[in-house]
Amino acid sequence: MIDIRRRTTFFFVVVSLAHVLLISAQVQTQSGMPLVENVAFGVFARVQGVVAGVSDGIGSTWRNYFALRGVVAENAALRAEVSQLQGQLQAEKAISGQTHGLEQMLQFQLSVRQRTLPARVIAGDPAPGALTITIDRGYADGIRENLAVIAPGGVVGRVFREPQAHAAMVQLLIGHAAAAGAVIPRIEAGGVVEGGSESPALRMLYVNKSFEVQTGDTVMTSGQDGIFPAGFLIGTVARAERGGGSTNYGLISIQPAVNFSHLGYVLVVLDPPAAGGGL
Amino acid sequence: MRIVSVVAVMIAAVALQMAFARFTIGGRWSLDLVLVAVAFVALKWGPSAGVIGGTIGGLTQDALAGGTIGVGGLSKTIVGFGVGVIGSQFVVARSAPRVLVVVGATVVDRMLLWGITNAIDLGGRGISWVSVLTEVGLNALVTLIVFQSIEIMPGMMRRRSSRRSAFGARKW
Repeated sequence: MIDIRRRTTFFFVVVSLAHVLLISAQVQTQSGMPLVENVAFGVFARVQGVVAGVSDGIGSTWRNYFALRGVVAENAALRAEVSQLQGQLQAEKAISGQTHGLEQMLQFQLSVRQRTLPARVIAGDPAPGALTITIDRGYADGIRENLAVIAPGGVVGRVFREPQAHAAMVQLLIGHAAAAGAVIPRIEAGGVVEGGSESPALRMLYVNKSFEVQTGDTVMTSGQDGIFPAGFLIGTVARAERGGGSTNYGLISIQPAVNFSHLGYVLVVLDPPAAGGGL
Repeated sequence: MRIVSVVAVMIAAVALQMAFARFTIGGRWSLDLVLVAVAFVALKWGPSAGVIGGTIGGLTQDALAGGTIGVGGLSKTIVGFGVGVIGSQFVVARSAPRVLVVVGATVVDRMLLWGITNAIDLGGRGISWVSVLTEVGLNALVTLIVFQSIEIMPGMMRRRSSRRSAFGARKW
């Protein structure tokens, strides 16, 4: 008869080895496991929709009936409207900036105005540090992979995997391995903004030392990544250090414009930028 | 039956984790309810349950987070087994030792995640000690609440039912 402790240890070793093999398979193919991810996301998107609905329902019932009796509902609707209008304003500003640049430098024609779709955040990180959110819009609403997501403050992230019918996962720009083409309009210095840093959460790479980057400089999307349309606000320069022997800046820290800890509603930009187009 | 319970606890933990994380997105506050659930099933049902719970919880988190599937699964499996072994070897019946076990499990889980991602060259993040400390604190708090509630609940139910039966037996 097998000792129960040995059996448990054997079970643990087998399961651990299975994990190692699973990881090895993905590291070698570099493709991940899209089927497993989609099934898990599909199941939990439904669960989260229900959980968010129930928690919001309980919260709103409490607030509406016991606190302000309807004022909160009106306030929420107004906030959603303001959020959408601010997003539209940003889109208009982006087009305006882009148009001026194009007119002045390349005399390009006016770009097509970006359409946006408001979405509610229904879930946060499945694991600490994952820095993703789930929104209540999916392919049935016209959402597809790699569409830009913005908030009234600026750029939030991108839709990063095949969406479900009424849910999509968004990779936050401050997340590990997230990046966007960026430009500092004051000096027209281009580069790439990537997430995953410590406070502040963003940093800008590949900016040539010949540019005079200053603290407080605004950083916008350049549109050259094919995901984020040009002219959306990313943040402001918090620190710039030339350092090192490279031809590029050693460190440019960016303070994100969006307050990522309070994301209730976001806007999905339905029109991706034209390939190679940008400021 | 035990497996069904473990699966149910883990699914509930992942759903709650994502629901609570709505309010702390991108902030410095982080909480890992899945880890607390792994520790809970391991302490309650032993190392095998810890391994199963860790595998289910970790793999689900991996699949939802969009990273390499198996990294979180492996770390939580190891943590689940370790907590289960500790629970079966030592007396972990009071709140303080349980909280201590979860604190240790949180730190070990973070170290394992960091080690595995760096070992397979996934460009793993550095460890943010501020976020580890907040996670340790919040996980400990949740552990305290969960275990205390579970301990108090049966006693409360018993007292309530005995009060009712006492009323029922009284002759008016």
